[in-house]
Amino acid sequence: MSSIIFRRSYRTSSSILSRYQSFSTLFQSSSDLQSTNKQQNHVSGLESLSKNASGFGSVLNKRLNFSCGSCLINTLPFSSQAAVATSDGLTVDDIVANQWAILDESESDWKSHASAVAQSIRLIKKRLQWTQLKVRLEMLSFQMEKPDLWDDPVHAGRISREHGSLMGKMKEVNGLEQELIDHIDMIKLAHEENDPDLESESVKALLRMRQSVKEKELEALLAGEHDSCSCYIEVQAGAGGTESMDWAGMVMQMYKMWAQRHGYGVTVVDEMRGEIAGIKRATLKVDGEYAYGYAKAEVGAHRLVRISPFDSAKRRHTSFAAVAVTPILGDASHHVQINEADLRIERYRSGGAGGQHANVTDSAVRITHIPTGITASCQNERSQHQNKASAMAVLQSRLDQQEMARQAQMNAQYTQSLTDNSWGNQIRSYVLHPYRMVKDLRTNYEVSDPDSVLEGEIDDFILSFLTDSMDKENDEA
Amino acid sequence: MNLSILARASILSSTLTSRTLNRTIPHRPISSSSLSYTPTSPNPKTPLFLRPPIFTATLTDLKKFQTWAQTLASSVGSSFTESDNGPCSEILHRELNWLIQDSVQTPDILSLNSDSKTDAVVKLRAELGDLYLLWKQRIEERRPFQYVVGCEHWRDLVLSVEEGVLIPRPETELMVDLVEGVVKERVGLKRGLWVDLGTGSGAIGIGIGRVLGDEGRVVAVDVSPVAVQVALFNVRRYGLEDKVSVKQGSWFEPLSGLEGQISGLVSNPPYIPSGHISGLQAEVGRHEPILALDGGEDGMSDLLHLCNGAASMLEPGGFFAFETNGEDQCRFLVDHMESVHNNSFCDLKIVPDFAGVQRFVTGFRS
Repeated sequence: MSSIIFRRSYRTSSSILSRYQSFSTLFQSSSDLQSTNKQQNHVSGLESLSKNASGFGSVLNKRLNFSCGSCLINTLPFSSQAAVATSDGLTVDDIVANQWAILDESESDWKSHASAVAQSIRLIKKRLQWTQLKVRLEMLSFQMEKPDLWDDPVHAGRISREHGSLMGKMKEVNGLEQELIDHIDMIKLAHEENDPDLESESVKALLRMRQSVKEKELEALLAGEHDSCSCYIEVQAGAGGTESMDWAGMVMQMYKMWAQRHGYGVTVVDEMRGEIAGIKRATLKVDGEYAYGYAKAEVGAHRLVRISPFDSAKRRHTSFAAVAVTPILGDASHHVQINEADLRIERYRSGGAGGQHANVTDSAVRITHIPTGITASCQNERSQHQNKASAMAVLQSRLDQQEMARQAQMNAQYTQSLTDNSWGNQIRSYVLHPYRMVKDLRTNYEVSDPDSVLEGEIDDFILSFLTDSMDKENDEA
Repeated sequence: MNLSILARASILSSTLTSRTLNRTIPHRPISSSSLSYTPTSPNPKTPLFLRPPIFTATLTDLKKFQTWAQTLASSVGSSFTESDNGPCSEILHRELNWLIQDSVQTPDILSLNSDSKTDAVVKLRAELGDLYLLWKQRIEERRPFQYVVGCEHWRDLVLSVEEGVLIPRPETELMVDLVEGVVKERVGLKRGLWVDLGTGSGAIGIGIGRVLGDEGRVVAVDVSPVAVQVALFNVRRYGLEDKVSVKQGSWFEPLSGLEGQISGLVSNPPYIPSGHISGLQAEVGRHEPILALDGGEDGMSDLLHLCNGAASMLEPGGFFAFETNGEDQCRFLVDHMESVHNNSFCDLKIVPDFAGVQRFVTGFRS
């Protein structure tokens, strides 16, 4: 039995190592690297494996010497390889493979509970992109060992934060596996010892775990690096004049109400109203935990079909509103350092002589980042200084997002595919006439009550999309 | 003293007051107490947002006010903008939201569309009836929004303002940035004595008081007793009594004995040419103190006076920044300094505001 376990863990670790290797090649710039790699593929698989393994050995020694760093580092990246198993050698993967029938929670059958928990753990791992997470973690551990890491404290801070966060996730999942195995051991022991009280108590404990691990499935949906951030939601009217501006206004209102339902803080940073109704564009700031994690599911074009109240001939119109979402990173996590000299700062909507001539309460500011052409504006604060500060924050998050997208492209191994969605993709259709329905084109999730959706009840759309895309994506991987 | 002289003096002073402070308000004060805007109060009024929330109204009544006020704001359309570049409906709607923010203890209650809680009681910082009057003044009399709520958000400050004191302008915020930039490069100036002439609400003085080092001091000067009181109130509110002192007097008057010892001199003096005063936006022309606006025939009289004073008051290497009406005044001032005060000043610069208007003249005493 132990040899099987060994072989299994060996297999996993070798695949990780080869991934690790391919990952590390990203850091070498030579373009002919690919071809040499191909040639070596057959012969040197093992060789590179051993090289990498010895590399880690030396890293390991260093760790012992420098025990002062974050104690998380001391959890070895390979600890997960020693798969946890019950006293008679049953692992979580075995439980999944056994496919014990999952019965209703009320059935007091430990195998059913264990099977349900094991399935949940597997789903959580899938959602956390387990294999990629491990590769990433090893890469980060490796970087954290570099003696010159703290020469760039901003970079180092980012590395160590991400490392800590991924390590936390790994520990939590490993803890769940251990807990499941412990419960099973206990149940089996109680059964062997003929202790029905202990046995039923242990089965109950397993049932409680079955319930709590369900919630963790949901949490695992929002495990992206920036998911816990606040965010900006930007809504822009498509072509089609007043009807689409009105629609863009409705979409913005939908997000305002959604945010309020979640207890998020909502402020309109920037708003350009339509002449007759609605908005041409607007930027909402949504403050609160996981605002970005949820809202990123809304990126794309939203389509409305209805009889336009602005059409005297009462014809049916189709309009679009585009939605973009950017995370607001903490001060320490910015990816781009803005150089003041690269900025053009303008006051707009200010006619006339200004100064003492004018009494204004409007001090709209627009900032252009000249090298990239990216702009941000704000007019809803009560002083020009604050408008400028808000516009700077929007600009910073846009530049950060652009940089993250660029890095993600370079680093195809660990792409957060959700941020790839360009906002031109049509994601959802809202039909008010001739029938009433809202349907998500990505998941086919639909409801027949558009009013509730437009009043901000979009959580089911968001969750079904997150579930769908995460689970689908990892199946492909 | 003979009676007729006394009578004449009192007529004269009352016409003077009304001319200086609120030139053409035909209306009698709407309410006798907190709302009247006679500018002679010895103590500055507390801004609305700082008053205690001791009044109440039901949510229904508050919503009624909101709807009424919105309708009034919408009725304006673009008529003010067309007549004198005043505010349009969109801006008035935003001001209304801010009025509600300042006067309602929990303003969010209005944005949640919970129809169930209509009989909820909301705490207010002014009586609901007064809110109606204030909004009427805003729309019908074009009373500046900042006087209505008693404050102006300026930079990261919230300054108390009232009739008799110029409302600090967004353009003027940049004066503080200019000073901040200068003291970063010339650290000695950070420890020196700075002067804000014609301080009004105290805006620039307080702003630079916060960018100077621990040893730096500011003297804020204004000729108007109302302005001095308001500036003092604002200085105290930001706990800067030890750093910014407020003095009453005309321009350099309170600074005698300090010739050649001043590290920095900043001012936003009246610079509007007298001929333009009658055509000003109603909020400005009818309500703001003309004393703080009228710069004489070409708008340059006070600027030139400051210029000459700067030559004698600034220490060598001392910095000055003046706000002007625009490009013509900037150029005139620079020419004047170069020709008349030959070699007194160096590094003269014209700096634009964010709207692209050549707004400031800065330089150093040689």
